[in-house]
Amino acid sequence: MLIIGCGNRQRGDDAAGLIVAERLRNAGIHTKSCSGEATELMELWHDHDHVIVIDAVMTGASIGMLHVWDAGTLPKHVKVSASTHGFGLAEAVELSRTLGRMPARLRVYGIEGREFGIAAEISPEVIRAIEMTVRRIEDEIRG
Amino acid sequence: MSGRGGRTIKVDTLARVEGEGALYIKMAGDRVADVKLKIYEPPRMFEAFLRGRHFSEAPDITARICGICPIAYQMSAVHAIERALAIKIDPAVRLLRRLFYCGEWIESHALHVYMLHAPDFLGYQDVIGMAKDHRPLVEKALRLKKIGNRIVHLLGGREIHPISACVGGFHKVPTKRQLQELAADLEWALEASLETVRWTSTLEFPHFEQDYEFVALQHRDEYPFNEGRLVSSHGLNIDAAEYEDRFVELHVKHSNALHSVMRGKGSYFVGPLARFNLNFDSLPEVARKAALEVGLRPPVKNLFRSIVVRAVELVFACAEALRVIQYYEAPAAAHVAAPNRAGVGQAITEAPRGILYHRYAVDENGLIVAAKIVPPTSQNQRRIEDDLREYAAHLAAWPIEEATWKCEQAVRCYDPCISCATHFLKVRIDRE
Repeated sequence: MLIIGCGNRQRGDDAAGLIVAERLRNAGIHTKSCSGEATELMELWHDHDHVIVIDAVMTGASIGMLHVWDAGTLPKHVKVSASTHGFGLAEAVELSRTLGRMPARLRVYGIEGREFGIAAEISPEVIRAIEMTVRRIEDEIRG
Repeated sequence: MSGRGGRTIKVDTLARVEGEGALYIKMAGDRVADVKLKIYEPPRMFEAFLRGRHFSEAPDITARICGICPIAYQMSAVHAIERALAIKIDPAVRLLRRLFYCGEWIESHALHVYMLHAPDFLGYQDVIGMAKDHRPLVEKALRLKKIGNRIVHLLGGREIHPISACVGGFHKVPTKRQLQELAADLEWALEASLETVRWTSTLEFPHFEQDYEFVALQHRDEYPFNEGRLVSSHGLNIDAAEYEDRFVELHVKHSNALHSVMRGKGSYFVGPLARFNLNFDSLPEVARKAALEVGLRPPVKNLFRSIVVRAVELVFACAEALRVIQYYEAPAAAHVAAPNRAGVGQAITEAPRGILYHRYAVDENGLIVAAKIVPPTSQNQRRIEDDLREYAAHLAAWPIEEATWKCEQAVRCYDPCISCATHFLKVRIDRE
């Protein structure tokens, strides 16, 4: 299984995916970190069957809410990663599908964020959601 | 939206540009009444963020400004600080920095040419639609970009926000053997880039030429990355230290990115087209020949042909990377010492999208007391608006949807990186 945390550490709640990946790494679980740019994601998950991507999202739900989507059900209106390049996770999923490069199973853990300003602090609700996400993924991996 | 005697072109979210922006054009009959390229990405606070930090932190902090061109930020930062500290780097480090920049240009140009720009010419909304019918093109782009990533990863420690560049050199340098392992991939990339030049030259380009003032670095015997005088097609020829005497950033009401203008003149044009037009003779023969074979020679004044010029620069970046690999011998030390010393230093380097200016003032403890960063997109922004003023007038008779689409395409020719271009904005509220 490949676990990828996305985001930007300088932009408040957008660091959520990166922190989850780092916490899992510290607990001895292999993870990768990236900005969330589409081609980079595709390169990382190429040849992997089972992938988990963790990223900050904005859907309009309550801050700190943890969403879990299978790639096929990723809602179109979701804005994934504030450090947008206009070409991120949603595009990576679509393009991988078109090119036949989709992992058999790809799940997205989306942590609802609110504060994405440069050098902003991470919201307390997002810090709690990070803890919950780490525990959930650890439980899943270690059975 | 059409109104009596006038119409408005409005694009709320510009797709396929880095960052977020919006565009507003107001027409009165066939006359363009107003053009506004709006930036609403959260303001950039990096200049303030840098003050009080040690100069050694600047390369890593500024690399975070952009996920697409972090090398450019690192290179302008290290060169400006090395100038402030009066440090001379090892020639082998200089070569490695050129290779580092090659990696970033390959990544960035492959992404823009194929993933962001090509759909405009082939009539698709985005690369996902294009991939259904042109799978080999997208596969080629992904492989090219991966090769650029490999270079950045080897030299920078990781692809995004690399951490290895430092004031005085690198924290760690590769062995010659490690570089040689890149050669086979780069040979393939060079061929793929030559094919890219031929392919892009067959696209159809709108007839739109302007009398631009092109501005780029110029070096005596190299296509420019990190060094050179700043020159223009209209006679400018200055050192980086004179940049702020000749250019000034203005705040405009509708955008929280600053517009950079030439003092007493106005807009100017930076990026691949400017570099190509001002440095054609410095391109390696393989790139010059590729350009001439498809009828591309300076001055290229059609904005839409920038996709072909980017492809020529891909050829250059691959050829230059191979040259560096051939001549590189690892330096005795990865970096020279950078002791604390008070000083001011400026540097201009060529980011994929055009010149990136940095200035730092540091005190005797090595702490940054002032920082100034002028990204390429804020330098092109006034030029983009000027182009749209002309181009929208050409499109006055077109149906509104098509005219809107054409204007979006014109903006994408600049490959604007809007998330780099926003600075902190001081808000003033007037009350009566």
